[in-house]
Amino acid sequence: MHALADTAPAHSSGRRAGVVAWLLLAPLALWLVLFVVVPMLGLLVYSFCQRDDLGRVVYAFSWENYARVFDPIYLKILGRSIGYAALTTVLCVAIGYPVAWYIARQRSPLRERLLLLVMIPFWTSFLIRTYAWIAILKSEGLLNGLLQFSGVITAPLSLLYTPTAVVIGLVYAYLPFMILPIYGSAEKLDNALVEAAHDLGAGPIRAFSHVIIPLTWPGIAAGIMLEFVPAIGMFAITDLMGGAQVPLIGNVIQNQFFRARNAPFGAALGVVFTLMFILTYALAHRRRRAAAA
Amino acid sequence: MIPLPGSRVIVLLLAVLGLALAPLRAANKEINLFAWSEYFPQSVLEGFTKETGIRINYETFASGEEMLAKLLAGGTAYDLVQPPDYIAEALIKNRLLLPLDYAKLPGVKNILPEYLNMAHDPEQRYTLPYMASTVGIVVNTERVKEPVTGLVDLFSERHAGRIVVVDDARELVTAALYVLGHPLNEINAKNLAEARPLLAQWMKRIKLYDSDSPKTALLNGDVDLGYVWGGEAARLWAENPKFAYVIPKEGAHQFVDVMAIPQGAKNVEAAHRFLAYLLRPEVSKAISDEFPYTNPNGAARKLLSPAQLSNPASYPPGNPKFGTFRHLGETGAMIDELITDLKNAR
Amino acid sequence: MIEIRSVTKRFGSFTAVNGVSLDVAEGEFLTLLGPSGCGKTTLLRMLSGFETPTSGTLRIDGEDVTYLAPYRRNVNQVFQSYALFPHLSVAENIAFGLKMQKVPAPELARRVDEVVELVALKGFASRRPDELSGGQRQRVALARAIVPRPKVLLLDEPLSALDAKLRQQMQLELKRLQKHLGMTFVFVTHDQEEALTMSDRIAVFNQGRVEQVGSANEIYHQPKTAFVADFIGEANLLTAEAMARDGRAVRLRVEGGLELEIPAERWPAGWTRAVVSLRPEKILVSKRPLEAESVFTAHVMDELFQGALDRLHLQTDSGARLTALVANESALREAIHAGDVVWCGVHADDLAVVGPA
Repeated sequence: MHALADTAPAHSSGRRAGVVAWLLLAPLALWLVLFVVVPMLGLLVYSFCQRDDLGRVVYAFSWENYARVFDPIYLKILGRSIGYAALTTVLCVAIGYPVAWYIARQRSPLRERLLLLVMIPFWTSFLIRTYAWIAILKSEGLLNGLLQFSGVITAPLSLLYTPTAVVIGLVYAYLPFMILPIYGSAEKLDNALVEAAHDLGAGPIRAFSHVIIPLTWPGIAAGIMLEFVPAIGMFAITDLMGGAQVPLIGNVIQNQFFRARNAPFGAALGVVFTLMFILTYALAHRRRRAAAA
Repeated sequence: MIPLPGSRVIVLLLAVLGLALAPLRAANKEINLFAWSEYFPQSVLEGFTKETGIRINYETFASGEEMLAKLLAGGTAYDLVQPPDYIAEALIKNRLLLPLDYAKLPGVKNILPEYLNMAHDPEQRYTLPYMASTVGIVVNTERVKEPVTGLVDLFSERHAGRIVVVDDARELVTAALYVLGHPLNEINAKNLAEARPLLAQWMKRIKLYDSDSPKTALLNGDVDLGYVWGGEAARLWAENPKFAYVIPKEGAHQFVDVMAIPQGAKNVEAAHRFLAYLLRPEVSKAISDEFPYTNPNGAARKLLSPAQLSNPASYPPGNPKFGTFRHLGETGAMIDELITDLKNAR
Repeated sequence: MIEIRSVTKRFGSFTAVNGVSLDVAEGEFLTLLGPSGCGKTTLLRMLSGFETPTSGTLRIDGEDVTYLAPYRRNVNQVFQSYALFPHLSVAENIAFGLKMQKVPAPELARRVDEVVELVALKGFASRRPDELSGGQRQRVALARAIVPRPKVLLLDEPLSALDAKLRQQMQLELKRLQKHLGMTFVFVTHDQEEALTMSDRIAVFNQGRVEQVGSANEIYHQPKTAFVADFIGEANLLTAEAMARDGRAVRLRVEGGLELEIPAERWPAGWTRAVVSLRPEKILVSKRPLEAESVFTAHVMDELFQGALDRLHLQTDSGARLTALVANESALREAIHAGDVVWCGVHADDLAVVGPA
C-alpha cells in the first residue's frame, strides 16, 4: 500500500516531465519538419519526375535523372567539390587551431574581446565581405598595389578569378566556424593535463599530438562538420571570386534550378549529395562508437 | 462554434489583419512588376506613382531563365513581366500570357516597325518591346593594340586569360555556331559536336564568366576583352571611350526585352496604364539616359543627344543585320550539359 | 637529493616564495605544510618545472634544474586534480611516461603490470578514468607518476579530494609505498594531521617563508614560532615574564598573574618577556589535587563535547583564560561540568617559547 502510494505520484510527474519536454521541443520539431523534412520529401518526389520544354515539373516517373547524376561529368564535379572543401577544411584547421588555442589560454577580459573580433565579420553581409575580397585581390586592387609599391613585384599578380581566390574566399568564409568550436573545447581543457604530459616527459610536440589534439578533437570534429559539408555546396564564392570558371557541385545544382530549369535533375543531384553525407556521417559515427567501445 | 477563449482572439487578429491589408489589396492600386535588375530608373517608377497613385512593387531577376523558373513556380501574382524575346515566345506558345489591349496603348505607334511583329510574337498580340541589345565584343584599346574584328580574333591564343564572357551557355554556343557558319537556332547533336572542340579551346582562354556585371572586371583591369551585353558595353564606352565595342564579323544577334502581362495577373488595368506610360517618348528617353540600351521607341530616339546616338554599343553604326534567339525546348538541356562538361574539363 | 637555495618567486608585485632554502635527503618524505597561499604549491611547481624562480637556484641529484623544462626533469608529480588523461585507459595513462621515454613494448607492459598490482588496480587496467571511484583515480595518478622511476615524486595535495576515512587509509598506503620504493617524496598539504602522520620532516610555510623545519615531534612539541604553534594543533599562546631563575628552571608569570615553570635551557638567555605556547591537551585537569611542576586551580567556564575529547574553557583564580582538552571518559567519570572548580597541572617540559612578547 505504502509502496503504491509512493510510486504513483512519481510516475505521473515523470509523464508530465515528458509532456513538458515535448512542448519545449515542439518549435524545433516543427521547424525541422517544415523547413527540412517537407522540402527534402519534395526534392525526393521531384527527383523521380520529368520536365516539359519550359522547365515545368511533369509528374511522370523516371529513373533518368539518377542515371545522369552518375555520369562521369557530375562525379568529377563532385570529386572536385570535395577536394576544394577538404583543402579549405585543412587550411581552416591549420589557421584556426592556433588562434582558438591562443584565445582560450587568455585571461578573461582579453579573451572575450578576441572572441568578439572573430565574430565581428558576421555583422556584415556575406556578399559585401566577398566583394571586399574582390577589391583586395583584383589586378588594380589593394594587395597588388601594396606589393608593387613595396617593390616586391613589378607587374600585378593575377589573383582574382583563380582557384587560389576560391580557396581564399572559402577559408575566409568558414574560418570562424572552425575557430569557435575549437575554442569551446580548448577553453574546457584543464591546463593540468598539459602539465601532466610535460611532467611525464612529453615535449611540446608530443604533448600536442598525444594529449591536446585528442582532447580538443570534439571541437575540431564539430568544426569540420560545420564547415566541410557547407563548403562543398557553396556556390556564391566560386561565381564571384573564381569567375565561374570551374563548376562545383553547388553551382551545378543552382544552375539546374534556375538557368537550366531542370528541377528534377537538380533535385536528384541534391538527393544523392544529401544521402552521401548522411551515409558518411553514419559510418563515421559507427566507427567512433566502435572505437570507444 | 466551440467557445474556446483562444478562437475569439484569432478571429479578432484576422479581422485586424484584414483591415490592415485591405488598402493593399484594392484592385489596380498597385502593380507587381517582375523585371531585370538595373533596368528601371527610380525616377520613372516614382513619376508613374505620382501621376496615378498606383504603387509599383519592383522585384528583380538576373536571367531570363530565372524569371521563367520563378514565374512557373507561382507564389507572387505578377502583373507585369519582362522576358527576353525567346522566353516570351515560350510563354506565348504555352498560353501563359494575356493578350494586350492595344486600344489602351496608343503610344505603340512610337515603336519602330522593325521591332514589331517579330518572330516571338508575330501577330503582336502579347508583348511590347522595352529595350533591345546586341551581344558583342568589348576591347580595352589601351591594353590591346592589335585589331579585334570578330570572335576568332577575340578568342585567339594571345588573349588567353584576359577575357570575360557572359555566364550563359547559349551565348557561348551561339558564338561557336557563328564561327562555324551554322544558323544560330539550329541546335542539334551534330552541330554541337562540331562546336565542341572549338569551345573547348576558347574556354581554356576565358578568365571569367559573369552575366550580372561583366563590365566590373573590365573596369577593374582584371581582363582586357569581353563578350558581353551591348548595354554593359554602352555604359563602359560612356565611362571611357577606350572600351571599343565591336560587332563580331562572323555574325551577331540581337535580343529584345519585352513587357507582357502573365496569366493570373490581378491588376490588368493598372498594368496597361503603366505600359502606356512607358511608351511616352520622354519616359522612354529617361530610361535610355540611365540605361543606354538600344531604344526601339522612334519618338524617344529623336529626343536623344548626338552623343547618346553615337554610342556604338547602343546604336551600332552601319545598320548590320542581326539574328534573334528562338525558343529551343528540349534541346536547351544539351547546351547546358555541353558547357558544364567543358568547364569541368579544364 | 634536493637543494633549494634562496629561491624567490614573484608574480607581479606579489611575492609567492620569499628566499626559501631547504634540503631534502634521498629517500626522505618531506612535507610542505601551510595555509593556502603560503607558497608551498609554488615551490613544488618550481621543482616540477612549471614555474621558474625569480632568483635562487634549485638542484636535484646534483644537477642544476633551475631553468630546465619540466619534460627534461627526472621528477614526476601527482596532481591535486589527478589530471588523468580522460581519453586514455588506466593502463595507457600509466604507460604514458614510459612511452615518452621510448621504453620497449615488452618492458613497458611488464612495468605497467607491476605497478598496477602495486597500487591494487588489477582488473581495472582497461577502464577509463571516468569509470573509476575517487580513490581508484588517486591510485592511477600515483601509479602513473611512479612508474617512470623518478628521482623525486612531487605530490600536490593528492588526498584532498577524498573523504576522511579513505584519506586516512591512503595516508598509510602512501607511507608504506614510499618506504617500499625508497623514493624521495615531496608532499604538499594544508592538513596538519596528514603532515604529522606521514612525514619524516615537515617544512611549515607562512607567507612565502619557511617558519620551521623539523620532524613531526619537533614541530609539534617545540614550535619555534607562534604561527607554527597555532597552525599545528592548537595552542594557548601566553605572554610571559621571567620572574626568577634557579638552576633547572625559570619561573614565569603570565598575563593575569598565573605562575608557570619552564626548563631553563628553553628560555632564551637575556630575555625578560616572551610568548610561550601551551598545548590544550597538556593541561592536566582533575577534581582532586595533582602533581606537576606548576599547579593551580581554575573555574570551568563552559564545556564542549567533541566526541573523543571534551573541550574545557578555564579561568584561573588569577584571571588567566586557558583552553584544555581532556579525554571525555574521564570527564564522565569525574563529571567535570561548567561551574566546577578544578585542579590544573602543567609540566615544565610542555611549555615552549615561540617568540618575543
